[in-house]
Amino acid sequence: MKRILSLFIIILLFNSADIFPQQSGKITVETIDKAKLTKLIKDRKGKILFLNLWATWCVPCREEFPSIVKLADEMKDVEFVGISVDFPDEVDTEIIPFLKLNKVNFTNYVNGFSGDEELINALDKNWNGALPATFIFDVKGNKKVFLSGSKSYDEFKKEIQKALTQPSPQRRGL
Amino acid sequence: MKSKIKYILPVLFLLVVTFSKITFASGPTKAENFKLKDYNGKEYQLSDFKSSKATVIMFIATQCPVSNAYNTRMAQLYADYKDKGVAFLGINSNVQESVDEIKDHAKSNKLDFVILKDNKNVIADKFDASFTPEIYVLNGSSEILYHGRIDDSRRESDVKTKDLRATLDEILSGKKVSVSETKAFGCTIKRSK
Repeated sequence: MKRILSLFIIILLFNSADIFPQQSGKITVETIDKAKLTKLIKDRKGKILFLNLWATWCVPCREEFPSIVKLADEMKDVEFVGISVDFPDEVDTEIIPFLKLNKVNFTNYVNGFSGDEELINALDKNWNGALPATFIFDVKGNKKVFLSGSKSYDEFKKEIQKALTQPSPQRRGL
Repeated sequence: MKSKIKYILPVLFLLVVTFSKITFASGPTKAENFKLKDYNGKEYQLSDFKSSKATVIMFIATQCPVSNAYNTRMAQLYADYKDKGVAFLGINSNVQESVDEIKDHAKSNKLDFVILKDNKNVIADKFDASFTPEIYVLNGSSEILYHGRIDDSRRESDVKTKDLRATLDEILSGKKVSVSETKAFGCTIKRSK
């Protein structure tokens, strides 16, 4: 009986994150501002950066998200990061439940810029703010790819592979 | 002289390339005339509004939470400016949103301005419009005086700058539009394939 009880406790401990996902505390979403974004893009540590801009209210963002999770599982030589443009006070109510539902396996931030336009321009002055949007930066922090609108797993993979093989031009900043 | 031309030509070429890129990135500066039907089947064309002091073109949606967050503000803008010589035209270019849905949505949200259905997103393509709500303000000659957002936050209590109102007030008082381009996050217009 004791053995069965012990086994039950062990199983419960191993699965506690799934049974009590809210209490597991595994997913945290910090705000990101200009300084943090610049650091994120510069600090490549030999990996290219796949940066996806999304929102829980954006249907095409929700549709493409599982493909990004799958790619993050498969491509360990790429750093995957998401930035949600929901409001910072929606982290617990909207963002984390969405990330848990999708079994997210990469870091996500929430927009902490003073305004949406500041974040848009920090990433690309020619970007008009349509979501989802994806940027790929090479190992030197040079922007190599800008994808506007929802993309498939294959489209993302093709662009990542292209970025992995292309030589880096001179750094031009954000 | 020949050596001077050698230098001038590449510089001119670079200028042309740079200028053409800027023009492309910022979209059209003038709107072409177009014809579209509203949700009751009545046909309108842009030139019908030539005599207006300004025409506000709003690419909107029925299912986009951001566009819907602006329903009350759009209705209020129309109420505040319609008698001041400003025309409002809503355009729905989303392939999945039907004429009936647009009609019901307009009724339930008290959107009393004209809303046109842009089948196959022909007009969205001409404007280079890509998300909702996306705004263009035109003068009587169809020149685009303003392009961008209604204001700076989808959450009304967080609004700091009322960009569209500021633009309309400047136009109505005969001033030059001081901010002609703004940006915001919105829902991508779902185009027909």
